[in-house]
Amino acid sequence: MHIMEGFLPWQWCLFWYLVAIPVVVYGVIQIKKITDKNPESKPLLAVSGAFMFVLSSLKLPSVTGSCSHPTGNGLGAILFGPAVVSVLATITLVFQALLLAHGGITTLGANIFSMGIVGPFCAWLIYKGCKNMGISISIAVFLAATFGDLLTYVTTAIQLSLAFPIPTFSESLIKFMIIFAYTQLPLALAEGLLTVVIFDYIKKLRPDILTQLGVMLKTKAPDVVGGK
Amino acid sequence: MESHLDYHAHNNGFREVNTTFKVLFAVSTLIICVASPSPIIPLFVFILIPTLLIFKAKIPYKFYFKFISIPLLFALITFLYMGLFFGSTDIMVQLGSLGPLDLVIYRDGVQIGFLVFSRMLGAFSCLVFLAFTTPMTELFSIFHRVHIPPIIVELSMLMYRFIFLFLDEAEKMHQSQKTRLGYSDWKNSLRCLGMLGGNLFIRTWFQGEKLHMAMESRGYNGTLKAMNEIEFPGSKNIILLVSFELLLLAGIYLSLNFPVI
Repeated sequence: MHIMEGFLPWQWCLFWYLVAIPVVVYGVIQIKKITDKNPESKPLLAVSGAFMFVLSSLKLPSVTGSCSHPTGNGLGAILFGPAVVSVLATITLVFQALLLAHGGITTLGANIFSMGIVGPFCAWLIYKGCKNMGISISIAVFLAATFGDLLTYVTTAIQLSLAFPIPTFSESLIKFMIIFAYTQLPLALAEGLLTVVIFDYIKKLRPDILTQLGVMLKTKAPDVVGGK
Repeated sequence: MESHLDYHAHNNGFREVNTTFKVLFAVSTLIICVASPSPIIPLFVFILIPTLLIFKAKIPYKFYFKFISIPLLFALITFLYMGLFFGSTDIMVQLGSLGPLDLVIYRDGVQIGFLVFSRMLGAFSCLVFLAFTTPMTELFSIFHRVHIPPIIVELSMLMYRFIFLFLDEAEKMHQSQKTRLGYSDWKNSLRCLGMLGGNLFIRTWFQGEKLHMAMESRGYNGTLKAMNEIEFPGSKNIILLVSFELLLLAGIYLSLNFPVI
């Protein structure tokens, strides 16, 4: 759910930029560490970013009939860890703004915060939590992707109602949440299921890639193979 | 669609215009549109930019309108939504209710909705201007110029290179799945899309490995070297730019109390 160019008043554009930048800078430092240690990870990170862009341009079959696209952030966070994803998502958002007029430059900070930071971090935390509790990997992936998506929408709703607190912040938030509950809840569930299918497919066909990822990113990505 | 956009970005009437000038024009107009307290100037930009693109840059008008139709629709929905649900004083129309929401159109809701609507139109026109006139590769040198970390510029360049390849690949897989009775119902669609995504990931991974080998065999040592020369836009262009933006600001000042709705 991108916030469109021109939607936010300039004060809020600035505010979300200031919130998003430190996290992205942290991500950049992490990526720099990873690529300095093994240079072959750079092209791999690049194709992974391109993969996330293409994934987000696929049409998602939705229950309500309206077609929308997956965000790919849940899968990204599980595979690469949230810090790396925040950077890849930032680049993806810039491309979406410049190539598809989807999202925008002034609203980039707000979009990075909701789609590149909150979503992936929540997805990653849920995934880790589930794994630690010994829940099966498919359910962990499903929960991570679904809630990563949902929390992205909640964040967007909060951002919108902060920008337009008419008549008050809470009333505005309730209105945005009701609209989103109708339109985005089915999408989040669909994306959760889709992520499970993708993840299982990769795990079945090329488990070595997942091992390689775990090695490449060290502790940044959870050890995905050998779980339950 | 994207590849078409890329084609136009490389072949248009503004292709030879200085890149810094185009970026400065788009970004400063964008900021003015977003900060504008009145809807007049953003709407003016919304009309000016297609005029420039279609008549000066020779972008086919059909392609332009197809491109903006999706954001336009989205902006329209937002306008309706804000008009319906926002505002607190001066009721214009009472429409009944939808679940827990009262459908009431308030005058101030419509006003703020229209302002946001016009800002969105003006702002995304500026983005579209940039997308249609400036190839991404030239934007990368601007990224470099504004001191975005080289690792990010490099990742973006590699990503950009692969996006089109993978879109092609995804499209091919989608077609072949469809010819084999894929996407017949909802459950099947989900399974097909999952396979497509998974397979795409595996293939992208292969590509990444191959790319690394190709780069390494050509002497890659951790940095991509590219010509990043950016010319200064020239004082004539700068004067033109500043006077245009000042005109827009004057327009905002004059239209400040202009009643729209």
